[in-house]
Amino acid sequence: MRYILRKLGFYVVALWAALTLNFAIPRLMPGNPVDIMLAKLQQRGGVVTPATRKAYTLLLGGDSTGSLWSQYVSYLKNLAHGDLGVSVSYYPAKVSDVIMQSLPWTLVLVGVATVIAALLGVLLGAVVGWKPGTWLDSLVPATTLMAAVPYFWLALILAYVLARVLGWFPLQGGYDVVLDAGWNGPFIASAIQHGVLPALTIVLASIGGWLMGMRNMMVSTLSEDYVLTADAKGLSPMKILRSYAARNAVLPSVAGFAISLGFVVSGSVITEQVFSYPGIGGRLLGAVTNNDYALMQGLFLFITLGVLGANLVVDLLYGLIDPRTRARS
Amino acid sequence: MFLTRRAGALLAGAAALTLMVAGCSSGASAGEGGSSGGGSGSTLIAYTGQAGDYQINFNPFSPSKIGGLGTIYEPLFFYNKAQVGDPVPLLGTEFSWNDDGTELDVTLRDGVTWSDGEAFTAEDVAFTFAMMQKYPAVNGSGFEGTATAADDTHVTFTFDEPAFVRGPDILSTPIVPEHLWSSIDPTTDVIEHPVGTGAYTLDNFKPQAYTLAANPDYWGGEPAVKTVRFISLSGNQAGADAIAAGTIDWQTGPIPDIQNTHTNFPDYDAYTQAQNQMVLATCSSAELGCTGPQTDPAVRQALYYAMDRTQLNKLAFMDTASAMSPTFALTPSQDSFVSDSIAEKQVPMTAQADKSAALLEADGWAKGADGIYAKDGERLSLTVEVVTGWTDYITALDAITSQAKDAGIEIKTSQSSWNEWTERKGKGNFQLVIDSLWQGPAPDPYYLYNYFFDSSSGAKVGESAGNNFARYSNADVDAAIEALAALDPGDTAARQPYFDTIEEAVVADMPYIPILTGGTTSIWNTAKFSGWPSDDDLYAFPAVWSALDAAEIFKKLTPAS
Repeated sequence: MRYILRKLGFYVVALWAALTLNFAIPRLMPGNPVDIMLAKLQQRGGVVTPATRKAYTLLLGGDSTGSLWSQYVSYLKNLAHGDLGVSVSYYPAKVSDVIMQSLPWTLVLVGVATVIAALLGVLLGAVVGWKPGTWLDSLVPATTLMAAVPYFWLALILAYVLARVLGWFPLQGGYDVVLDAGWNGPFIASAIQHGVLPALTIVLASIGGWLMGMRNMMVSTLSEDYVLTADAKGLSPMKILRSYAARNAVLPSVAGFAISLGFVVSGSVITEQVFSYPGIGGRLLGAVTNNDYALMQGLFLFITLGVLGANLVVDLLYGLIDPRTRARS
Repeated sequence: MFLTRRAGALLAGAAALTLMVAGCSSGASAGEGGSSGGGSGSTLIAYTGQAGDYQINFNPFSPSKIGGLGTIYEPLFFYNKAQVGDPVPLLGTEFSWNDDGTELDVTLRDGVTWSDGEAFTAEDVAFTFAMMQKYPAVNGSGFEGTATAADDTHVTFTFDEPAFVRGPDILSTPIVPEHLWSSIDPTTDVIEHPVGTGAYTLDNFKPQAYTLAANPDYWGGEPAVKTVRFISLSGNQAGADAIAAGTIDWQTGPIPDIQNTHTNFPDYDAYTQAQNQMVLATCSSAELGCTGPQTDPAVRQALYYAMDRTQLNKLAFMDTASAMSPTFALTPSQDSFVSDSIAEKQVPMTAQADKSAALLEADGWAKGADGIYAKDGERLSLTVEVVTGWTDYITALDAITSQAKDAGIEIKTSQSSWNEWTERKGKGNFQLVIDSLWQGPAPDPYYLYNYFFDSSSGAKVGESAGNNFARYSNADVDAAIEALAALDPGDTAARQPYFDTIEEAVVADMPYIPILTGGTTSIWNTAKFSGWPSDDDLYAFPAVWSALDAAEIFKKLTPAS
């Protein structure tokens, strides 16, 4: 119990620090939202007169009013009520609505891709590590090469070859926009068809890390005495692989997996750019370029909560999986 | 269901593969099987440059509206900025000013209905303007007057002062229905179910696309293009990819090898109209706190003559930019406004180093050992601010740097984020900025002069300026702009002397150094639709993001049978 309480206490402090940074960082950026909006309007062929500036300032509340301290207090107060404020660039939409509209796409695409990459990488890593030095080892450089190539480049090449030249997958979008989004067959089929290619790029780009980590852990685990003992007892190789070697070797990967799950929320900016895929990445980019403080804070909050939450779950789970970590308490 | 669709997609993929093998690079045909490119023949798919998902907002007064202006909500008249001419009647049929410009009478179209069936009357017009007065936050055009409905088809606007130049803004204001809008707050309502008088109504909205359907009861007759779909992609690059894949029908923005669009993609054509005048804006006024050699008009003139614009156009703008008048009257459409006293009607297209040298030397500059001019120990070195990622401007600056060096002027480029660049521009913390000057609501150079040359929209360095970020300040110009505001735009003889004054000052002082008029290029599908604007029939400014113009174009198009 004390173990859990100590962990929770630590996370509360981490959360507070993250929220405070979250408040401060957007305010250090140059420019203010009214200027940016006007510049944008003008670029779109709009007519910007002093009257327009006045109207926008009135509408968007202009520069931040009140002292920084009072802004900080009301920020924390609103957060406690779950009120993330109003987005400036999507005025008058609420930040929570803007995020909720895009979040499912990112969660499903990046979430599923991360799970697949981790599972596949760990499984392959276990197999490769079981027989080090054989031809299977060539999987390691092959997949790390994919991870070493800049992600956007890999994605662009795959998009060009598989979608543009071969036409196997749609090039852009999250689904055929003629269809109605919801739980209906044609939409889900279309969403899957559109999601395969972006998911494939994420899997290819990240599988190398999982595979190499697992393989190396396997190799070192195989030299442990208990594996030798199991072998001497006459257990079947499959049993040793699953219950003795892999089970111990997978522990670091579990921790890594939790952290990467936390980053799912934020991890799709480039994927969305390349494939014009709907999701949170485009919103984040838009928020930053438009000086939309409220939206930025909302998004950062989600990312922070995602990372902290995933870490907390793993910390707690780890205590169960691996008794050594709670030995001191 | 699921399986058959997947199988279909695979088959389509296989078919496309076969095509590839057979016909090598038939880029355009691959798109026919593309996702959103399908649709029936009369669906037009437009991409406005929306990056990321849409957030619903069909309030025509909202800065974050995603659409509906022009297509759903119509103004009284349509001003075609692309050429000088009479405004096109929409909800209004004719208008007239009284002699001193304090009263504007507008006759409205009879028999127009809102898309929910209610009749459109003068009360709606009066209500719209009263609402703008009541809520200053939606009064983006700065309307200061009263609109009264004389009867169902006549509205009178009255003003305290002559308001001729306000006309285009007023007549371009979208009119909203009183019976629905009287009970809402126009500053915060996003109008999820827009009701307008326009040729289109909202069919459905999704964050990834929204669709407009033709209004069968439209007063001008149901448009031939039955459906217009606006989709969201990740940016202009994605738009260019979508053109290559054949999944969109109209985008305004550059694509690679734009001169050969029709050869590369036989279904498409590119059309360029020039309207944004590109300039090297200077922080011009030493009195207001600007520092650097560019506060000297001779230096600005010298830089003006140092540019080889033919080379610039080729290297940086893919030959889509066009000539410009140093008076900032759009050429050729506004040539009639240019003063006779201006000797040089258009910017020189080649570098004239001797002129630059003469200007600088007459002003006391002398060439140093490094080939760069200097005066009182100060080298003629200038820094230009540009936004990271604005590749055409960055390329242009590279070319200008080497051209200016030949004329003995050193140019340095400083790249920064858009936010920072906007802030520098506003606060005056720059020497030169590469940017473009935009047009007003009507084809009349008065608006550009008023926006960019009137000292009232300037500010001291360190304070936030309005449009006149060059901080140009000239009492004669201010007086002429003020006088023009009180004159009937139809009375060209009375206006010209004031234009002469402004133009002479603008050319002599050159606070914005003219480069070229930047082209706005649209790529559109000429195989699916005909009736796009052309040089022969330039009925609207061809830009898909210019909502009022786009609405006119949607109405004029006809789908290929």
